[in-house]
Amino acid sequence: MNLQAGGGRGLSLQISIIFMDMKILIIEDELALQQSIQKYLEHQGYVCEAVGDFKKGIEKINSFSYDCVVVDIGLPYGSGLDIVKVLKEIESRSGIIIISARNSLEDKLEGLEIGSDDYLTKPFHLSELNARINAIIRRKNFSGNKIISFQEIKLHVDAMRVTVNDKTIELTDKEYQLLEYFIVNQRRMLTKPAIAEHIWGDEYDQVSNYDFIYTHIKNLRKKLMDAGAADYIKTVYGTGYRFTDN
Amino acid sequence: MMRLLTKTTLYFLLAIIPLLAAGGFYLFYQFNKELNHEMDAGLLNDELQWVSYIAEQTENSGPFILKTPELLIYPVNDVTTIYPRITDTQQFQAIVNANVPYRQLSHVLFIRGVPYQVIIRKSKVQQSVVVSNVTRVMFFVFTGLFIITLLFNWFISKGLWKPFQRSLEKIRSAELQKMEAIYFDSNTNVKEFNELNTALNSMANKIHNDYINMKEFTEDAAHEMQTPLAVAQSKLELLLQDTNLKDEQAAAISEASTAIKRLAKLNQSLLLLAKIENNQYETNETINFNTITTKYIRLFDEIIRDKGVAIETQMVADFNIRMHPLLAESLVSNLVGNSVKYNYPGGKILVSITENKYSISNTSYLPAIETALLFKRFKKIRAEGDNSNGLGLAIVKKIADTHQLVISYHAENGMHQFIIEKNN
Repeated sequence: MNLQAGGGRGLSLQISIIFMDMKILIIEDELALQQSIQKYLEHQGYVCEAVGDFKKGIEKINSFSYDCVVVDIGLPYGSGLDIVKVLKEIESRSGIIIISARNSLEDKLEGLEIGSDDYLTKPFHLSELNARINAIIRRKNFSGNKIISFQEIKLHVDAMRVTVNDKTIELTDKEYQLLEYFIVNQRRMLTKPAIAEHIWGDEYDQVSNYDFIYTHIKNLRKKLMDAGAADYIKTVYGTGYRFTDN
Repeated sequence: MMRLLTKTTLYFLLAIIPLLAAGGFYLFYQFNKELNHEMDAGLLNDELQWVSYIAEQTENSGPFILKTPELLIYPVNDVTTIYPRITDTQQFQAIVNANVPYRQLSHVLFIRGVPYQVIIRKSKVQQSVVVSNVTRVMFFVFTGLFIITLLFNWFISKGLWKPFQRSLEKIRSAELQKMEAIYFDSNTNVKEFNELNTALNSMANKIHNDYINMKEFTEDAAHEMQTPLAVAQSKLELLLQDTNLKDEQAAAISEASTAIKRLAKLNQSLLLLAKIENNQYETNETINFNTITTKYIRLFDEIIRDKGVAIETQMVADFNIRMHPLLAESLVSNLVGNSVKYNYPGGKILVSITENKYSISNTSYLPAIETALLFKRFKKIRAEGDNSNGLGLAIVKKIADTHQLVISYHAENGMHQFIIEKNN
């Protein structure tokens, strides 16, 4: 039951309401990247399998079912897009995220058109990939619990409502997204660029430097603590933030 | 600038003028010679007739003088010439009040043993008529030739040059991306055109191949770079998860990670520039700049408010243009983004849009951008904490250039303004 590598307390049980036994298949030929993804996702409580080429990918998806498949487009022996097509043909219920070095609109549209749920351009933040996988699994899992929680904090995903000790608190859209990102990537170090990009998008760095997110984090922390939550947002000076209870 | 055929015709006509002149002159010379010859024979014959007539008529009389406008006979003492001399001369004629050219025969001969000077003249007026006739004929020939060559010129250029015109039309409408679809007919019935079209075909083919190669190379290179960057990025992110890291160590890793992100963005921007240059963003979509601008102002809203920047928008009319949505977004986000980024707290942004003019002005502490550096790649404004890659305005310029838009920049009283105008 306890899938957390680092955590040993009740939080793992609560998290696992969503993450428990969620199986992810990673199809990526760049071994170093494949291992990074696997390690990060396993840290977050997923059960991961990883393969490095098209043939093995096809074998895996034909033999097992996964909650989410992370697939690179350029693979040995075939295209990742064809894996997406096969997944659709066998009416797999797994979520699909394409990870590609190609950033063109056409590639993205093609990927989404043939049935991928999301498209992430390399290089990406592992925390971002994790957040996207989480969102897809939540979306796909209609019967499942749509609450993600961390100790006394609960996010009611459908209503975009946050409660602390069952008391609703008012957050702005950005603060809500920030909190969701923190909880999904709990205990992980999140750099300022990763946070900024997740919440304000790619264009963000055209407008300002990353110092701007400080204000939002300060406000979020204050609202959570005012509502009686512990101070989970740990600042790592010059780097970013870590949402953790120790 | 004139048509090739007009030019050759002109040279032809220029060459023919001296030829015609020489021909005319020769014709005149020959005519003149012939006429003189005829006239001289006539004069000699006249003399003979006159002399025999006079000899007959004056059988029993003494010496006499005969004088008519064309004939003069009088006795002389000394015999100066025994051969007839024929010369050209002039004589005043009262009727026309001018000297008239004459052909004159002068001869001393003996009639019944008495020497007489015989002078016979004949008018040469007809001869000048001949000259003018020859000139006229020459003129007619020349004009006729001119008109006929012009007509030929017209007909020939209509017919003969058709394959050339077709090739020209194809070259004009040629697009870099659709080079493989172009074929120049190398089976016309003119050797030169066949040669030209064969050469054009191989050129088009080469351009197509080069274009594909370059396109693929640029894209492949850009993509190949992204994968190692992704590896490095992911490893640094994992490294950051080590809770035993000191703050400085974490900060160093984070900075390295940010640098990798910048490198990846730079790579993407260069790829975008290359793709715009290769015209890989063909589209039939019409984009409304007002909508996109509103979208980005909303997107940057928080930062704008946080900075205390006042934004004023005057959207008088819709600025519509045919453009790929990605490029339109890139252009607008760059301009709007810059107006926020380089603004100062409490500054101003003014967006003004009319049907043909799109303008964004903003206050800034930065000095005016030097014209020489404006829109140049990597010639960025060095501002504190600026993480731009110096390609933003180069991309804006490139997009404007490839869409018949004129972009200009003005800086006055601390206001920096970018104007985009439709070029029509």
